[in-house]
Amino acid sequence: MSLTNAGAIANQSLGAIAAQINVVSRNIAGVNVSGYATKTALVSTTSNGSTQIDGVARATNAALFQNSLQASSTKAAAAALSSGLDQIDQALGLSSGTATNTSTNRSPAALISALESALQSYSASPSDTTVAQTVLSSAKAVAQALNTANTTVQQLRTQADSQIASSVANINSILSQFQQVNSEIVAGTQTGRDVSSALDQRDALLKSLSSEIGVTTVTRANNDMVIYADGGATLFETTPRAVTFQATGAYTASTTGNAVYVDGVPVTGASASMAIQSGKLQGLTQLRDVIAPQYQNQLDETARGLIAAFAENDQSGLGAAAPGLFTYSGATSVPGANVVPGLAGQIIVNPNADPSQGGSLDRLRDGGISDPTNSAYIYNTTGAAGFTDRINQLVSSFSTSQSFDPSAGLGSSLSLTDYATSSLGWFEAQRQQATEAESYQSTLLSQTTDALSNATGVNLDEQMSKMLDLENSYQASAKLVAAIDAMYKALFQAT
Amino acid sequence: MTASALFNTSVMGMSAQTTALSAVAENISNSNTVGYKEATTQFQTLLTSFQGGNDADGGVSASNLVEVTKSGTTLTTTSSTDLAIQGDGFFVVSDSTGNTYLTRAGSFLPDSQGRLVNTAGYYLMGYSSSAASAPTDPSGLQAITIPYGKEIGTPSTKGSLTANLPSTDATVAAADLPSANASTSTYSQKTSVTAYDNLGNPVTLDVYFSKTSSNSWEMSVFDASTATNGGFPYSSGPITTQSLTFSATDGSITSGSSASITVPNGSTLSLDLAGLTQLGSSFSVSNPTINGNAASQVSSVSIAKNGTLNYVLGNGQTVSAYKIPLGTVASPTNLQALSGNTFAVTKESGAAYLGDANSGTMGAIASDQLEGSTVDLATQLSNMIVAQRSFTANSQVFQVASEVMQVLNNLK
Repeated sequence: MSLTNAGAIANQSLGAIAAQINVVSRNIAGVNVSGYATKTALVSTTSNGSTQIDGVARATNAALFQNSLQASSTKAAAAALSSGLDQIDQALGLSSGTATNTSTNRSPAALISALESALQSYSASPSDTTVAQTVLSSAKAVAQALNTANTTVQQLRTQADSQIASSVANINSILSQFQQVNSEIVAGTQTGRDVSSALDQRDALLKSLSSEIGVTTVTRANNDMVIYADGGATLFETTPRAVTFQATGAYTASTTGNAVYVDGVPVTGASASMAIQSGKLQGLTQLRDVIAPQYQNQLDETARGLIAAFAENDQSGLGAAAPGLFTYSGATSVPGANVVPGLAGQIIVNPNADPSQGGSLDRLRDGGISDPTNSAYIYNTTGAAGFTDRINQLVSSFSTSQSFDPSAGLGSSLSLTDYATSSLGWFEAQRQQATEAESYQSTLLSQTTDALSNATGVNLDEQMSKMLDLENSYQASAKLVAAIDAMYKALFQAT
Repeated sequence: MTASALFNTSVMGMSAQTTALSAVAENISNSNTVGYKEATTQFQTLLTSFQGGNDADGGVSASNLVEVTKSGTTLTTTSSTDLAIQGDGFFVVSDSTGNTYLTRAGSFLPDSQGRLVNTAGYYLMGYSSSAASAPTDPSGLQAITIPYGKEIGTPSTKGSLTANLPSTDATVAAADLPSANASTSTYSQKTSVTAYDNLGNPVTLDVYFSKTSSNSWEMSVFDASTATNGGFPYSSGPITTQSLTFSATDGSITSGSSASITVPNGSTLSLDLAGLTQLGSSFSVSNPTINGNAASQVSSVSIAKNGTLNYVLGNGQTVSAYKIPLGTVASPTNLQALSGNTFAVTKESGAAYLGDANSGTMGAIASDQLEGSTVDLATQLSNMIVAQRSFTANSQVFQVASEVMQVLNNLK
């Protein structure tokens, strides 16, 4: 130990304290910055007993961070699904009113039930053309509601498709930014530079990536990070992997959307062997490929059920049943119990029953809507004004079980009214589930974010007390410099 | 002792103290010189005559000795090429004519040609890290030259892949295996890794794992750039196809744990697969590592404790380039101190020999640090006072001798 050494130690101590104050001031500045992790100066003792700054450490909690990434992915998936279903709900006015209030509730179920009651009134006064007119307009409302629902569902799928495309573009751009930050971190770690700010930036990028697609990360030597999608496909390893998607311009009921590929592996859709589990992409593909098509199938089946229920039979028993009040363009026969893609969009009220299109309202009562020229399909052969057989038959057809395609997910043998109601119930259940999942995931996300922020965020009290400590140390070191100076002075005077 | 001998003795005393003062002066002037070793003065008696043990004309002689082995205070700097030795040993440096010297003054900076030169103008010596064997004496070393701005690429030769393959995966039919490279080819799991070819181009290798039967898998590696729209069929067949067998007892790999992959336009990459497992959880890659680096400019260097000098490239990758050995001699105190804080080997010191830093008796090399001067100013000032007082005392003796001689002269 020597006086020179003592001087050097005091000197270096001043420098080390200044560096620590610098870190404290960075922390105080970052106190309200989301994602800012507390930095700590690493101080160590050198061989001559002085202090040196070895670097800046950054508070991390890998487990909590991974949790928050997962929560943000799951929340994004739930939010994408829930907002899509809400959109259908609002466009069709499904939940905004009671089942009987057809002025606000435009759901096929409510309108079918309105049609049923119109027919019941008609059955009481079969000669009343005003009531017949109500039946016709109710039938038109049902057909229109199905048409609108079909368009809305397909528009939603188109929209989800374009959102997938923009999400994919976003992922690619985040990955290329990630490459820059990652190589900066690797180079900085190699050369011992302070990379803590770049690490903050990289975490922020990961966070925005995780809301697009579920990710897992692996950290290699020198802080080099590898990102995998949560299904296992490689997203980033030294270089970003291509995330590709071919958008489809317009959707119809029979369109199947393209899969998203990560590193050449399909990660969405039925053929995906390494399917993603969460993230906005997952929510959107779930909406586009599973829920919306299933609802479309149910709508198509409802339309087909209507056509089947209102079909007219050949009274002579020779010919096949033909579409009656409800038909579709180019109809030749009543479709069998299988989903006809897009039927909900094609269903119309037969012009033969519509006076505004040259038809006759009486055919509602008498039959022969399918082919007025073919007398075999006329039920009321005498033309009696009080004929109610056909009307009663139609009324009962609402509650008679008929065959439905089980692939639509609502069973295979139900009455028309039950089918329409089940479909509505199914949809509302999906929507409710999505909304609940979203709110649950939001809570979970805010909790994990809070936990992460508590673990790694800046504690102002701690920083302020650290600042006071550093101030005292600085004063002490400065005092030491003065003391050493005084000792030298004494020595100089002695000579 | 004769009266006249008094003169001699006091003059010798004064001369010795002057030598001591000169050492103090040298020390004080070099109190801030990096790598400076303090000079100390050693006094020894000098007898001009010896008469049966009774009387001797005594005197003193002084010589300055450089305390070569003493370590100075470590100073922290911000340059990665500022080096300090923590422990024994010297840097081997050479002057412009190629003579080698030893020094501990490690404030090196690159010159216009990228050679690391210290403030005294000496070049740091080392050997290429690709050398077959480490040189044992300084003649086998070359001046370290850092090619700043030069593009460097290193082909991949070694790597490892640690992953879990899900034991629950369905079996892939033999005709549909990726190794068949048909448009119908399918697989159980896929990952990809980046390797580098001879020119430093990154080559993405698609690695497919397909379950062929219970506990048996096939790994096929393809060059991703030959894929058709990112998938099968590839325009050229698999680079490597390897069968992997896993233990039914614990899921560890039992055969095929090392694959040899010829990187397109590159070297043979030996991929260690010993970390593969086949367990009942999902597919996850936990540690893919491949050496080599993409072509990029040398932007800086990093020097490890054991003397390995790495180039840090612009893209963040590092390339091991040189090894900086430390040199020493059998008797460091007998080294000849030269200007520029260097020491030359002498007959007495013994020949210089080399050793790896941070191993054996050699100290560790610390980057961003310098070894300061070993001089303590306070000690030097007190030494100066002592020398000054001794000189005064000797001059008093001289005066007394002079007076004695005068008395003698006046006796006549």
